[in-house]
Amino acid sequence: MIRYDCFEWLAPQMTDQIVVTWLSGQRVEWAHLSKRDADLNLGSMGNALAVGIGLALALPHRKVFVFESDGSVLLSLFNLPTLANLNPPNMAVFVFDHQAYSGTRVSYPSETAGKADLAAIARGSGIEHAVTVTELDDFKKEATDALNQSGLRFVVCKIEETVGHRKITRSNVDLLETKYRFVRYLERTEGKPIFQGRG
Amino acid sequence: MEQKLAEGLVDALHAAGVNFITYLPETRLSEIIPLLQSDPSFQMVPVGSEAEGVSIAAGAALGGKVVASYMEGTGVYVSCYNILTVGVRYGVPMLLLVSYVGSFADRRNSFLYVQRGTKLIPQLEALDVQYQVIRNGEGLERKVKDAVRMMNSLKQPVALLFTEDFTL
Repeated sequence: MIRYDCFEWLAPQMTDQIVVTWLSGQRVEWAHLSKRDADLNLGSMGNALAVGIGLALALPHRKVFVFESDGSVLLSLFNLPTLANLNPPNMAVFVFDHQAYSGTRVSYPSETAGKADLAAIARGSGIEHAVTVTELDDFKKEATDALNQSGLRFVVCKIEETVGHRKITRSNVDLLETKYRFVRYLERTEGKPIFQGRG
Repeated sequence: MEQKLAEGLVDALHAAGVNFITYLPETRLSEIIPLLQSDPSFQMVPVGSEAEGVSIAAGAALGGKVVASYMEGTGVYVSCYNILTVGVRYGVPMLLLVSYVGSFADRRNSFLYVQRGTKLIPQLEALDVQYQVIRNGEGLERKVKDAVRMMNSLKQPVALLFTEDFTL
């Protein structure tokens, strides 16, 4: 399964769902395919899941999708028991697991290339719906259910390591611009102030 | 910490508009936890690491909550990556409620804590996080309101370090 194929199918399905992404090729590919103000590109490993939890708790009436990776989840494994106990029904986590630490110059196996099974770790943490998918059709089914149904989902998507994102022109939108665009979008759609000029 | 002081701190947080708190229990300020939990105006989120406490609070702040993250001083070290990469770099207002263990006025200071105390302020200053040291309940509501106004104006994490009377 190729991550870009997953994103290419999912991006047009999105309406008002919040999407939190983290770093690297995933961020580049999603930003290339999705131009929505509801996308929050964090640009740091190990934070997307926790930030997504905070958004899901603050906005329980909105669906929050979190795109993670094997390396990023492994960096913050303590998120999983917390996520299980909080069990936000409006949250869906998709972990794109290519079993590697992959940068522009390196590719080195992550722990999931060995014995670690992130879905099993999630289930062991108490997340009831924690599954692994390896085929695009199975991804589509999980994503469709996440779009249409309530309930916390944790889906590990086993993907091939690809380098296609390196051919995509990187966005010049920096983190602060991303943040303000996202927050102003929430202010418009939620009808409440979030960031104000005064304390 | 005396119950009256704990009640004063919780009242001050309420008056300052804080409505979402992540927390990892510790010893010095722990009397505030049941008080916060019993007040429905606070959305309380227990965490397993101060690192995720900061990031969850950041997400809630971006979603419109007025947030705080309560931790022991050691939690600043644990969460400094999250404070920097999400709080400082992204510019997210959040109040760090920190028990200042190992400080001069920590009444329970010992060899176990002192190194964590002496390096805490240099750590916050390295992160460029504004902070105030709170020693007692005098003017507590005003000091917490000042900190919330500062974090919202600056759109950055701001820390309150509690010592002396808060460590009894």
